[in-house]
Amino acid sequence: MWLPVLGLIIGVILGLMTDIKVPDEYSNYLSIAVLAALDTLFGGIRAQLQNIYDEKVFVSGFFFNILLAASLAFLGVYLGVDLYLAAVFAFGVRLFQNIAVIRRILIAKWSQNREKTEKNDI
Amino acid sequence: MDSKKKFSFAFITVVIGFMIAIQFQTVKEPAVRDTRDTWELRADILKEKELQLRLLREISSNEEKIAQYETKRKQSKEQVLRETLDELKMEAGLTEVSGPGIILTIEPVYEELLLGKQADSVSPDLLKRLVNELNMYDAKHISIGGRRVINTTVIRDINRETMIDGYALKSLPIEVKVITENFQSAEKLFNRMQVSKSAEEFFIDNLRLKVEKSAEPITVPAYDETLRIRYMEPVKPDKGGKS
Repeated sequence: MWLPVLGLIIGVILGLMTDIKVPDEYSNYLSIAVLAALDTLFGGIRAQLQNIYDEKVFVSGFFFNILLAASLAFLGVYLGVDLYLAAVFAFGVRLFQNIAVIRRILIAKWSQNREKTEKNDI
Repeated sequence: MDSKKKFSFAFITVVIGFMIAIQFQTVKEPAVRDTRDTWELRADILKEKELQLRLLREISSNEEKIAQYETKRKQSKEQVLRETLDELKMEAGLTEVSGPGIILTIEPVYEELLLGKQADSVSPDLLKRLVNELNMYDAKHISIGGRRVINTTVIRDINRETMIDGYALKSLPIEVKVITENFQSAEKLFNRMQVSKSAEEFFIDNLRLKVEKSAEPITVPAYDETLRIRYMEPVKPDKGGKS
């Protein structure tokens, strides 16, 4: 359980230490890629909690979503339509849904645990 | 979750962390908001202006220094000597010179071909006369057939061949380049040469002297031998030169 958190911390430290800066015109792509990654991450966590986690789906979804989002933004730039907003919207909604599902599951687990302990106490 | 799954999950989180960090760094740029009010801004402008003033003063003082050095260099004896040397070299004919002037072409009279008597060389006397005439009419630098004519140049007949400083003249036609002080004197020289007597004298020898004006500056080559001065001495200041 702690390995992914450790990975996240390592990644952040690496990113801060390398001092890489993306040019302004590409920051859109990166932001949407980050959003897609977060979406996939939370989707993965939810799937794990629901016991339907599949590694292949997770890893492929991660890269595919990032690429799709970036190419959508790219297409939008060339069409003159802010298509990346569509990706932001879709990912945002999914992010909220995923987090909501995770919250419900956690709450349910927590209340189950409490009931169990209360029963045990009694 | 087995360990393989854990590692792939961790790898993905590393990538996500990396991306987030980079995004954070990219967006973070205007980290400090400008919260100065008018008076603070004024004070800052004043500070910057003072800095600018100081820099400008520094620049101007440096430029002044450069100018000072420049004038010092110009006024130094070395520079004067150098300039004099260059001037003398140019006057003596040791440098390539280009300027306004005329081009004279000495060519055989083709009509004489029919009579079977073609001139094949120019006599040194004629050339000397021509050079003298050119000098009389304010020619500054002369070259004959690509050889520079200077004060000590000898034009003479060696083994029935006309030589300039020991170099045989090329075969006819010969080009004589003359450089004058400026365009006006070139014009004057051109007019004088057109009516000069030497053209007639050349014609007696079955040669024709063609005079051309040149719109572009003419280039006369440098004298490429060493100057040998044998009978010249500097004037002793205590003996003469009191003019």
